[in-house]
Amino acid sequence: MATLQSFRLLGTSLLLGFLAGAPVCAADLVVIVSARSPVAALRADQVAAIFLGQSVRFPDGTEAVPFDLRLGVPMRDEFYARVTNKTPALLKAHWSKMVFTGRGQPPAELPDSAAVRRKVADDPEAIGYIERSALDGSVRAVLVVQ
Amino acid sequence: MQQQRLVHFLLLSLSGLALTGAARAQDKPDWRISGFGTLGVVHASEHEADYTSSVFKYNGAGATRRWSTDVDTRLGVQLDATLARHWSAVLQVVSEQGLDNTYRPRVEWANIKYQATPELALRVGRIALPIFLTADYRKVGYAYPWVRPPVEGYNVMPVTSSDGIDATLRWGVGPVRNASQVFYGHSAVNLFDALRVYGRRGIGISNTSDWGALSVRANVLSAEISSNIGAELFRAFDAFGPIGQDLTRRYEIDHKRMMLANIGVNYDPGSWFVMAEAGHTVSHSFLGSTRSAYVSAGWRWQAFTPYATYARVRAAGATTDPGLPVAALPPALAPTAAALNGGLNYLLWTIPQQTSQAVGVRWDLRTNMALKVQYDRVTPQEGSRGTFINPTPRFVPGHPVHVASVALDFVY
Repeated sequence: MATLQSFRLLGTSLLLGFLAGAPVCAADLVVIVSARSPVAALRADQVAAIFLGQSVRFPDGTEAVPFDLRLGVPMRDEFYARVTNKTPALLKAHWSKMVFTGRGQPPAELPDSAAVRRKVADDPEAIGYIERSALDGSVRAVLVVQ
Repeated sequence: MQQQRLVHFLLLSLSGLALTGAARAQDKPDWRISGFGTLGVVHASEHEADYTSSVFKYNGAGATRRWSTDVDTRLGVQLDATLARHWSAVLQVVSEQGLDNTYRPRVEWANIKYQATPELALRVGRIALPIFLTADYRKVGYAYPWVRPPVEGYNVMPVTSSDGIDATLRWGVGPVRNASQVFYGHSAVNLFDALRVYGRRGIGISNTSDWGALSVRANVLSAEISSNIGAELFRAFDAFGPIGQDLTRRYEIDHKRMMLANIGVNYDPGSWFVMAEAGHTVSHSFLGSTRSAYVSAGWRWQAFTPYATYARVRAAGATTDPGLPVAALPPALAPTAAALNGGLNYLLWTIPQQTSQAVGVRWDLRTNMALKVQYDRVTPQEGSRGTFINPTPRFVPGHPVHVASVALDFVY
């Protein structure tokens, strides 16, 4: 009886662990700001507004300058799919509206997580996204994208 | 001529600002070229009039030729320049068929922007009129799901830009992000021969509110319009004394305050969308007053977006006028009066009354290219030629016209 219960418990915890852990481990993205930035945490909609050019400031009022990964990098597509619900085509349509109405230009692009981390670490106004494994003390994770 | 002067002014200002900008080491001037375009072909079943996307087109599909590539085909090139930390400029040139039947490029945008604060931007120059949900990118096919914005609403206001100033303020209330814009400007449109339309002292307010997947845009525009369209007809009416002069006052586009109000809603959570828009125009002239609306919905499945649209436009007043009382006039004047009445009613006949249903599919071929196929069932209503142009004397409204379109949209 006790064996069965502990077996069940084990099964449940395995299942829970799988449900909770698997998506995070598979592609763990973090949104980062400089360690010198006062921003502690952001919601997904706040990050989306900054990356879509709808908001030019962090919630505390300091200016926000987003940095993107290059077009075609899978992590970029994943970031936009999860944070803004936009496919690469929808994102392109969004920026076509912004650019051809003079309302803004898309974020500057960098080649990889290391370049984004370097850029963000140096600039308290910068915001970017990298793999969780690329985190270090120079930057602060303000949102874990799941 | 005016365009040349505008370009000249802009280039001079650009070079001037570029020099000041370059003086600051960290703010090097930065240039970007981008563009958009559409290759389209349209077939219409109507034999007695042309279906087209704007009244500012020379012809379309139908009476002139069964298949037309002039309805949607266009190419736009945009030059964006960052001049200094808060200064930027944009020049957009668009080539598409105009009323002169050429693809002569026209300056659609030419303005300088000063970003006073991250929230407040001021612009001077030629600016797109923010009068519809998709107004300022209505020429960028790639940016919307359809082959073209519903003509029933958008044809009511074919003027797309004006020369003047505007201010845009971005502000937020909780999760709602707003962009409020006010503008003031003039516009002059050369039609054909010596015909012109002027919009003076145009003033407008536009507000866009985004809340997650929901976007709501409301616009109001008022301008004093004048035109020499029908000038000879109205001078002839004037010769008939007070009754004729009264008709001229009512219908001639002579310093008339035109008003346009519009509200649009877009809900787009990603896998599907719904858009709806309603507008009202008042012109105090033979352009009439109209009410228009459309609703469109689509669903995104992989690279395909099937969609359906219902649109309508109705005159908010009469589209005919008895004109001069022919029977009460001396017999010698009666034929002239009858001809003038005919001329007036021909003008009033251009006030659009039309209903259309459309289905189509957008196929995103690549991240900067989309192919669209669309079928429109367009029915001009009684007493109007709808949005059709070049009607022959045999054109009869009231029956559906079948329109098939294929368009390839791209941005670069």
